[in-house]
Amino acid sequence: MAERTAPIRVLIAKPGLDGHDRGAKVLARGLRDEGFEVIYTGIRRTTEAIIAAAIEEDVDVVGCSILSGAHATLLPKVVAGLRDAGAADVLVVAGGIIPEEDRAGLQAAGIAAIFGPGSTIAEIATYLRAHVRSN
Amino acid sequence: MSEVTDQHGAALRTTRELAQAISSVERGGPAADALIQTALTRLASERSQNAVVIGVTGPPGAGKSTLVGALAERARAAGRRVAILAVDPSSVQSGGALLGDRVRVEERPGDEGRFVRSIATRGSGRSLSHTAAAASLLVEAAGFDLVFIETVGAGQADLGIVRLADLVLLVEGPEGGDEVQAMKAGLLESAHLVVVNKSDRPGADRAVERLRSGLALGHDAPEVLLASAVDGSGVAELLTALEGLAVTRSGGGLQRRIAAHLAAAVEARAALRLRDAESDGRLAALAQSIATGERPLSGAVDELLKG
Repeated sequence: MAERTAPIRVLIAKPGLDGHDRGAKVLARGLRDEGFEVIYTGIRRTTEAIIAAAIEEDVDVVGCSILSGAHATLLPKVVAGLRDAGAADVLVVAGGIIPEEDRAGLQAAGIAAIFGPGSTIAEIATYLRAHVRSN
Repeated sequence: MSEVTDQHGAALRTTRELAQAISSVERGGPAADALIQTALTRLASERSQNAVVIGVTGPPGAGKSTLVGALAERARAAGRRVAILAVDPSSVQSGGALLGDRVRVEERPGDEGRFVRSIATRGSGRSLSHTAAAASLLVEAAGFDLVFIETVGAGQADLGIVRLADLVLLVEGPEGGDEVQAMKAGLLESAHLVVVNKSDRPGADRAVERLRSGLALGHDAPEVLLASAVDGSGVAELLTALEGLAVTRSGGGLQRRIAAHLAAAVEARAALRLRDAESDGRLAALAQSIATGERPLSGAVDELLKG
């Protein structure tokens, strides 16, 4: 992979209705300290708003934090929306409470990785650096 | 987004193309230079009115992002095509940045007459001026006619914004603006309009009085208005005041931004050359030659800039 000259840009989003954004904020701050440019969008965003923000910000990664249980409907919508907008090269990852039995389905729908409770910032940063598009 | 087509029409037709073009100018290099050339060619060939570019600055916590969001909503409702370029600092330690201005801006997916982009300072104030000037030319070429550039209220970055904006709006909080501060050189003297935000909070009226009496000691004092981005009061009046000032000030605005961009580009390259001289030892050798009396300081500087 070509070496990147610019920082990796990550959109941290909270789709849907749950307002628990502590985890998302910890991740946003942690990735900043790992040298990422993190765009935080705030809570209760629609998938359409997340996709539009990802396009405007030209991010390399969209990270969705979901604790509401609505992951099975919301996450595939984000992937499909980015693809329809011509941005299929944007990596979509998820974090939060996502049951083991739902994971295969999400990965089949194009979610690149799922980071559950206990994942470390370093682990997530390493994954993103290895899998993100080159410049 | 407006369907501007010309021989360079490949770029800037869609939101995605504009977004990618800004990433390109953030990285710099030949592709970025070509994109800026495309933008300049398009701007030169269009008969339409130039955009109004408003620099927005002020201390952290004054409510700049929320106020810009409220102004953008209102201007968009009046039919303007509005872009927001929100600048936040990069960490000196990690090079990363936390860009949180979108939290305070209403998302309007599907509306191509709005564009919001977060920009990290990435390095020095000079390189920021370069990126901000280039990004504002790109959004202008993409057909946006009202551009807000929002910056952290400190340092060289803001001076760069002053150089390229048609107007500078200074946002203060209700606790800001003591009289002596208002007399100091700095941001306040480059502001064309001052607004005390959070008029819903106690103390805002007195902040207005303090700022007015401080500013009145100088000549050409900017007007001081009162607004609340949260309850919306004063926002319409603020937008009207900005647009009124823009009419009188924005003549030659595009030329100013092109000049600001070119000046920043020259500075950025000169800084690069200086860094090279530092890393390959020439700077140290020149300093040594001054110390031994072989060269005067000015001679060493000439030598360095000669490359």
